[in-house]
Amino acid sequence: MKKVIEAEKEGHRILDQAEREIAEMKKDLPNRIALMRQQILAEASKQKEQVLTEGQRISVEEAERVASESRKQVKALSQIPEAKRKRAAERAIEVLFS
Amino acid sequence: MTSSLEKLVEDIIKESKAKAEKVSKDGQTQVEEALAAGRTEAVRDADKLIQEAKAEVEAERNRIVSQERQKARMAYLTEKNRVLQEVLKDVRTRLLEATGNESSYRPFLVKAIAKGVDAVPSESVRVALCDRDLKRYKGRQLLDEALAGTQTRKKAILSDEPLETIGGAVVTSEDGKMRADCTLEARLELMEPEILAEITKILFAS
Repeated sequence: MKKVIEAEKEGHRILDQAEREIAEMKKDLPNRIALMRQQILAEASKQKEQVLTEGQRISVEEAERVASESRKQVKALSQIPEAKRKRAAERAIEVLFS
Repeated sequence: MTSSLEKLVEDIIKESKAKAEKVSKDGQTQVEEALAAGRTEAVRDADKLIQEAKAEVEAERNRIVSQERQKARMAYLTEKNRVLQEVLKDVRTRLLEATGNESSYRPFLVKAIAKGVDAVPSESVRVALCDRDLKRYKGRQLLDEALAGTQTRKKAILSDEPLETIGGAVVTSEDGKMRADCTLEARLELMEPEILAEITKILFAS
């Protein structure tokens, strides 16, 4: 009979230990979740910085491309041949006299 | 008897271990589920953070590029306008030279006088020309030619007072109250949009 009582006690002890372990795990759960969240968001912040830096670089490049294209167009305007300007002036006079 | 007691003890321990194992397994499952839910939420928030950054970058890129395009457009239009004004200035310079060309200037002058005569509602009108034209077109021939081109039977006399103009005429009523400016300067001002359009066609046609 004594052995049965001891077995019952041992059984309770095994069950209690399992419950304690799980309780411990659950108690630590908010910390683990918070830590994991912190790591994920920190990584996201790094990616955000990369996105912003890369985005700024691309924007500056595109703006420079637009500016360069504009300079070419403006330069082309100032290089209109004299003969063409003369023809335009003559046509204007023709219209004026018409 | 001893054997059955041992079996009973063994069963008790076995059953407790099984219960403990179930408690442990269920507990671990709950913990893993909570961790997975936490991870999902964190990943969702992280994705949101990155998506917001991408949207911010896109908006900033659009703003910068649009601003640059606007600047480029302004620079282009300013230069285009500068070129047009240069040509227009050249037109004014060449006008004086063009008035020396009898074959094109004389018909213009006749038409200008006729328009002026038609525009002034007076039976008698006075036609003023520049000094050069007064000397060049003495006599009545020019006026008669101009009057022939009008719908009226008005009387016109040539003013002795020379006009300060590159070319063309100013027609006034006899009492001087009404005046039609048909000079080249006035016509140039009046026709500037049309003339600029012609110049544009020649200079900037692709």
